[in-house]
Amino acid sequence: MVAAAIKRGLLKGLSVTLTLAKIVIPVYVVVTFLKYTPAMGFIARLFEPAMKLVGLPGEASIAIVLGYFTNLYAALGAIASLNLSSKEITIIAFMLLVSHAMPMETAVAQKVGVNGLIILAIRTLLSILSGVFLNFVL
Amino acid sequence: MDLHGFIFEAAIGSVKNVLIMASFIIPIMIMLELAREKRILDRFSKKLAPALKIFGMSPESSFPLLAGIIFGISYGAGVIIDSAQSGRISWRDMFLVNIFLSVCHAMIEDTALFLVVGANPFVIIIGRFGLAIVITYIISRSKYFDRHYKVQTPGVSDVKGGR
Repeated sequence: MVAAAIKRGLLKGLSVTLTLAKIVIPVYVVVTFLKYTPAMGFIARLFEPAMKLVGLPGEASIAIVLGYFTNLYAALGAIASLNLSSKEITIIAFMLLVSHAMPMETAVAQKVGVNGLIILAIRTLLSILSGVFLNFVL
Repeated sequence: MDLHGFIFEAAIGSVKNVLIMASFIIPIMIMLELAREKRILDRFSKKLAPALKIFGMSPESSFPLLAGIIFGISYGAGVIIDSAQSGRISWRDMFLVNIFLSVCHAMIEDTALFLVVGANPFVIIIGRFGLAIVITYIISRSKYFDRHYKVQTPGVSDVKGGR
């Protein structure tokens, strides 16, 4: 029984790793590519004013957008490629852990009969407020 | 553009990150499967149940709550949907379970992945847990449930309505 559980865990771990790799590697490559082009500078300047509120550089907007709208794995790929300080990584990690994969997770909430939109609003608000708060205290 | 630099950085960096993540994820998945095998959730959910009184939640909501905290929403979804459909959990409790879990879920897997990229473990574990407790407490005391007391909700667990 224990052996079966270990095998199940191993297979699950490998399957998660495969899913992870399929998302993290392309995102990492694309974000690294952007860093080598003027496009990154443009994105950074565009989002700098908004990101300043949560103590993050403009480039970090890529990870936030990916995390909010797709999933955490894509955000992780972007974070790994960007050169962020440990304070910035902690802030962005917290913001994304509170609020991520919105389309999918709102659907799950809806499925168990609670209002997905209310949860969506609460999470987004909490995510931004915790970013502002952590920027202040860290 | 420094093509050589880009290829080098992209290839090494992406593969390295995935390998480190795998070295966390695979042991974690084995541990989670062993925890399921040993029915650790049953034991811990009984211990957690009394603490849920601060939110005015029934002891029955302890199991789906814990499943979500440890295994995550998609992984624990089976347990959560099952609890909702069984009708043992009121709509109010289900709502609070969802509020708590929306902020604080998959605490083991997700936390490990962010540790790999360099986040501070104390902030993301304790902070998230604390935030979930505070927001659930506030909502459990809000007038929201008074308004929704007898309102039919498009759910499976609306048999009991509010509390």
